[in-house]
Amino acid sequence: MSGEQVSASEIMVTAAAKEVHDGEIAVVGIGLPQVACVLARRTHAPRLALLLEIGVAEMEPVDTPVGLADSRIFYRATCWSGFLDTLGMNLHRGVVDVGFIGALECDRFGNVNTTLTKDADGKEHYFNGSAGGNDVASLAKRVVVIVRHGKRKLPNVVAYLTSPGFVNGRSRQELGLRGGGPHRVITDMAVLGFDNASRTASLVSMHPGVTIEQLLENTGFPLEVPNPIPITPGPSKEELRLLREEIDPGRVYLR
Amino acid sequence: MPDSEKVTDKVKSVAEVVRSIPDGSHIALGGFAIARNAIVFAHEVIRQQKKGLTLSQGVMGMETDLLVGAGLVKKLIVGGGSLDRFGPVRCINRARDNGTIIHYDSSSLSLAFGYLAGALGLSFIPIKSLLASEMMERLEKSAPDYIRRGKCPFTGEEYAFLRGINPDISVVHVQIADAKGNCWINGPRWENEEQAKAGKRLFVVTEELVPTEYIQRQPERTIIAGHRVEAVIHQPWGGHPTGVFGCYDYDAEHLKLYADYHKTPEKMNEYLQKYVFGTRDHWEYLEKIGGLRRLNEIRAEAIFGY
Repeated sequence: MSGEQVSASEIMVTAAAKEVHDGEIAVVGIGLPQVACVLARRTHAPRLALLLEIGVAEMEPVDTPVGLADSRIFYRATCWSGFLDTLGMNLHRGVVDVGFIGALECDRFGNVNTTLTKDADGKEHYFNGSAGGNDVASLAKRVVVIVRHGKRKLPNVVAYLTSPGFVNGRSRQELGLRGGGPHRVITDMAVLGFDNASRTASLVSMHPGVTIEQLLENTGFPLEVPNPIPITPGPSKEELRLLREEIDPGRVYLR
Repeated sequence: MPDSEKVTDKVKSVAEVVRSIPDGSHIALGGFAIARNAIVFAHEVIRQQKKGLTLSQGVMGMETDLLVGAGLVKKLIVGGGSLDRFGPVRCINRARDNGTIIHYDSSSLSLAFGYLAGALGLSFIPIKSLLASEMMERLEKSAPDYIRRGKCPFTGEEYAFLRGINPDISVVHVQIADAKGNCWINGPRWENEEQAKAGKRLFVVTEELVPTEYIQRQPERTIIAGHRVEAVIHQPWGGHPTGVFGCYDYDAEHLKLYADYHKTPEKMNEYLQKYVFGTRDHWEYLEKIGGLRRLNEIRAEAIFGY
């Protein structure tokens, strides 16, 4: 194995893997969340159950899928069903511990936008929409958002509220939502959390090699910063080996 | 064949099936992004220029984008959509950006629940998704025929109430069906079952047409029973370029081509001229996308299903 540097994606995936625990049930999409959950299963969470919204349980792909609709992600599943089973009888029922979602934008309350972007003049440009994102954000016990760090990706207020976090800082109960809401936002610069009374994102840890100035310059909302600032733990030697040699050897997701 | 089999034989050509669809119909599509889209059906709807359609679907994909790109769609009731790594559904996004289409945007589970209610004959169904979202905010104002807010009569808990969805037509592409319409679906099936059974009329497209005796060996695999099906369209490779699990992979080359063409309305028209209007039927289309050589390249390996 080469002595090359650990990439930001590898740090993100290692951090995300720590957010799922043994014996839990997680709903994942494609990409880094799936890599993270496979890493978790190979290390501290051998009994982690993985579900895909389209109706796939416990898949073991051998070829890298390009998306949720790629037959490669169905391989060696133990169950094939549909939305009513995964998003219904698992997620809506309330037994999904962790849901991973991606974002076009994620604001300071952990509200996620996957629907559209707005120009400066207010013109809307539509994108993919919710698919299962709103369902996961509304109903999972904990939500982990995976997003690239940037001022436009982390605005003060999302241009469109697809998947609610703590809307306007209100509690989940007030909002009528059952799930616990956003727990972590994992970016290529930091891990953010929502453990404060205002239900706004605060810094949990900063990735190695990132400065606080860089971080704040690239964050579109005020960020509560602890003193001293914890550094996100990188992958252990074994975790790195697993990622590079077994889980994503083709570096499709771990660029 | 014996007279009883002639009478129960529902196999029809796609042209005949589409001819029976009135303009303005609400059609529910059974594909998911780039998986198991009824492309042969979408192409024929475009050739026959059925207009003013409402389309509903959990997660839109190529079939939906084709129909919107062809200018045939007035309204969408959908949970989301994309062409996975091949990009967004640009014709659909353009129509939404320009305000040339009515669109009810919700979520995957919302569509599944709406179809479930429709399939069960329920006028509405409560759901805990959508609350506090902008979809709810917009739809409460623009679509009170689709969504309301309500409380559980037993616990007082707040819910979104979704109207039961009963499309005029449901179309699903399956791997195996018999002439009576009994369908097996291989691989995951997103919202296919409830969507099919919510439709007032149900058409299935099948890769393989099998004798009923084959179905009778494993009836637990039957997702849709034939008595609910109006017509069976037998079209091998009918989902190309989307993937059909167990039969063929998605055609990455053609999807990349489409992703390029559908970037502008002008190029989209070129695509439709070449691949849809310029082909008499699906067999001509398959020749145009590379024929037997290409189909052989994407044909599934039995062990993988792709």
